[in-house]
Amino acid sequence: MHDVALFLPETVCLLGALVLFFAQVFGARYGVVWGLALLSGVAAVVASVWTWPLAGEPFFPGIYRVDFFTQFVKTLIAGGFLFVAAINGQPRTVRSDAWAEMPMFLLLATTGMMMLTSAMELVTLYISMELAAYPIYIAVALHRNRDVGGEGSTKYMLQGMVASAITLYGLSFLFGLAGSTYLAAISSQLGTLATQPLFWLAVLLVMAGFLFKLAAFPFHFWAPDTYQTAPHEVVTFVATASKVAAIAVLCRIAALVAPAGLDAAMASRVLMWMSVAAMTLGNLAALRQGDLKRLLGYSAVAHAGYVLIGIQTMTGAGLTAALFYAMGYAAMSALCFLVVVEVGRDEDLVTIESLSGLHQRAPLLAATLLIGLFGLIGLPPTVGFIGKWFLFSAAIEQGQFVFVLVAAINSAVALYYYLLVIRQAYFAEGHNDEPIQTGVVTLAVAGGTTGLVVAMGVVPGWFWARSVEAVAALMGGAPG
Amino acid sequence: MPLLSGILLCPVGALVLVLLIPARAVRSIRWVCAVSALVAGVLSVQLWRTYDTVVGGFQFVEIIPWVEEVGISYHLAVDGFSTILVMLTSIVFFTGVLTMWDLEIRVKEFFAFMLLLVTGVYGVFLSQDLFFFFLFYEIAVVPMYPLILIWGSGNREYAAMKLVLFLLAGSALLFPALLAIYHASGLGTFNMILLAQKAFDPDFQIFVYPFVFLGFGVLAGLFPFHGWSPTGHVAAPSAVSMLHAGVLMKLGAYGILAVGIRLLPVGAVYWAPTFATLAAIGVVYGAFVAIRQTDFKFVIGFSSVSHMGIVVLGLNLAVLGKAGQDALNGAVFQMFAHGIMTALLFSTVGFIYDRAHSKTIGDFGGLGSQMPRAVSVFIVAGLCGAGVPGLASFWAELLVFLAALKTYPALGVAIIVGLVLTAIYVIRVFSQAFFGPVNDKWDDLRGLDLQGWQILPRAILVAVLVFFGFFPSVLLDVIDGTTATVLTAF
Repeated sequence: MHDVALFLPETVCLLGALVLFFAQVFGARYGVVWGLALLSGVAAVVASVWTWPLAGEPFFPGIYRVDFFTQFVKTLIAGGFLFVAAINGQPRTVRSDAWAEMPMFLLLATTGMMMLTSAMELVTLYISMELAAYPIYIAVALHRNRDVGGEGSTKYMLQGMVASAITLYGLSFLFGLAGSTYLAAISSQLGTLATQPLFWLAVLLVMAGFLFKLAAFPFHFWAPDTYQTAPHEVVTFVATASKVAAIAVLCRIAALVAPAGLDAAMASRVLMWMSVAAMTLGNLAALRQGDLKRLLGYSAVAHAGYVLIGIQTMTGAGLTAALFYAMGYAAMSALCFLVVVEVGRDEDLVTIESLSGLHQRAPLLAATLLIGLFGLIGLPPTVGFIGKWFLFSAAIEQGQFVFVLVAAINSAVALYYYLLVIRQAYFAEGHNDEPIQTGVVTLAVAGGTTGLVVAMGVVPGWFWARSVEAVAALMGGAPG
Repeated sequence: MPLLSGILLCPVGALVLVLLIPARAVRSIRWVCAVSALVAGVLSVQLWRTYDTVVGGFQFVEIIPWVEEVGISYHLAVDGFSTILVMLTSIVFFTGVLTMWDLEIRVKEFFAFMLLLVTGVYGVFLSQDLFFFFLFYEIAVVPMYPLILIWGSGNREYAAMKLVLFLLAGSALLFPALLAIYHASGLGTFNMILLAQKAFDPDFQIFVYPFVFLGFGVLAGLFPFHGWSPTGHVAAPSAVSMLHAGVLMKLGAYGILAVGIRLLPVGAVYWAPTFATLAAIGVVYGAFVAIRQTDFKFVIGFSSVSHMGIVVLGLNLAVLGKAGQDALNGAVFQMFAHGIMTALLFSTVGFIYDRAHSKTIGDFGGLGSQMPRAVSVFIVAGLCGAGVPGLASFWAELLVFLAALKTYPALGVAIIVGLVLTAIYVIRVFSQAFFGPVNDKWDDLRGLDLQGWQILPRAILVAVLVFFGFFPSVLLDVIDGTTATVLTAF
């Protein structure tokens, strides 16, 4: 019974997907599908929160771990799904014959991501990763307009496969070196493994699959195209829940090798340069974008760089900052995509131009976008500011003054393109002044998420304490 | 309610109210702002009165732990400097709201952004926690973008973007520097009062100080990073220019003082000759460029660069020890005097521009006979800028000048040159636009001069300038003790 309780969030998601499957078989109306998706999302969040105090290794000892870290991350992932489900009251850019499938695929991906955060064994890790990936490969391709969606979805899938193959290659090295697929066993041999360069190569290769999900350099090429052309709802999921899961696994790997101390310096260094490349490239490329989703894609590349600042420190403070930022980033980009979904109801591509006159057409949406973008810029009183503060602080603690300076200058550069978006929404007069009618649920979600973004920025204490607790479970949880 | 939180709560509370009031209830929005500004003003007077100059140091301390794990706390306290700067903010805030009373376009949004800006400014002057200090600093900077973009005039898109990019580039320098101070202290706290007691490694101070100085210096209009400031002034609507030149630029100077000089004294001394020279160049350069301007607001914008140069020069001279007391007193006095003075200038130019729709100096002639009240107010402020005795700036500039003569006579000459040039451009504006042959084109302005309540904000500002011109000791008494405390480190 205890095992069942520990596995509850995943079970809820699987059941939800199953119910949605039957709903689709029996041709349920969209309203019913939506209700079921919403219900599954709420149930998944509740189940995840309910399991916070639990800890253990359900069903297969050593393979699957449940502790505060995993359950906290699962809550965030479930929250991401709930968000996407909630703002989806009317199906928009998804093909009409796949309306019912879409939430099902996303729910399956949610299950995969949840398992990913708990996986403590290499094969389980890989299978969870694929379970999280495949439904999204399909969902990304469900655009109502085949001509629009084709390229982005193909790129996403091909690059995802390559990254996953690289990860698999790294896993094989790890297994070869350690003679075991259990993370616990690898961790206990860290002393001897850490002196071998091949081990560090393997660690970096394993990270590849997750750096891909995070859209970090050099695995970022899909991001702008897929963001631009995939259905708005699916991109929202890719930009929120998927990022949280990727960051969680990267934290897990970093925590695993962190005790190696100085031996980890080389891997750390590689990640640092990846971070510099990601944020510089992402920000510079975003300066020239006219398509809002594409711009957010490059912004995601830049933010992958910021998150890596925390991860490459391989310290408790750094990982805590990364997790905290993941939480905030998911909420901030969710806000931006909520506006994309609403504005892009009838448009396949959402350009910055299409935001013209937004402050008159939909003042609340304009305010939502403003807060979301303020967050991405890193301005108070949003979580973006304090999130960066924590990340930078962790790196400065390691004496990386110049690195942080580069990151800070990067945020100042990024200001330019975000401000152009704000300018369009608040300043430019649009040709179309027809008000945008937004559903009550969407407005409530927008309000709640905006509140979250501001609350995390103004009273971060509680959220920070949870991140500290989670990372403590993660670091302390690595046996040996 | 503790006094300092009360002051901070005025704009925050008003902001919440304004957001809740529907956009069409324009009158209520204005009144909420005016009342909150008035309450903040009353509380600031109360603060000034009750700040104990005999005891000195930090008073009215409020500490609430915020993120205990990393040593961030909500920590408010004032010393003599922040007491007068809070007063300055309240005056400019109140007169600014009155100046914008006639605004018709997107009133709710305007006042919401303005209140956010004011919240940031109060927050910086009141915070003694490095994290909150920086947080409020950023809060104060950001609303400038929409404020200039939406309600500005002329080349506003360019000006707004340039301003925000410059200022956040400054923040980019501050970010690693402030965090490095925190980690180098080893105290695990952002409490600035505790950090100030820590003697940091001299090499560390010398390394970090330029980041702090230049980061804040951008906002103080330090030459050669002043480019954002005149264009920003010109494009911004009146009240925003008032807040921007009157208060916002002081945040930069105050940051140098509160973080740079207080926490990193060795670094400050090491770099003082270099930065004092930059500031002195700014004094002369700003005044020189102002002479050639054809636009009222550009004249004021460049005069701000020049006058803020005196503040920064004073700060640098203060740490060199020879006449520190005078230099620092002068610098802080100048912050106050310049704040009031530019607020008055922008308030009046904005008024003339709203009536005449021109701010080109050459367009006017003999405006003094057409709008006597507005012009006389402008003249008072202009004379104050030129350092005429009987107005507040005189004392400030005199003190810094004396200190410069004792420390680096060459820099003292720079101040004198700056003041002579100031007199030239001020008199040039007067003679071209206000006196001389009357330009008939503007005869219809005769009935549109300052009237009734429109006089109020300008009258308050003039009164403050004259009052402190005759009774400088009222202000000096408050800051003198704090100056002495700060200078014990040198």
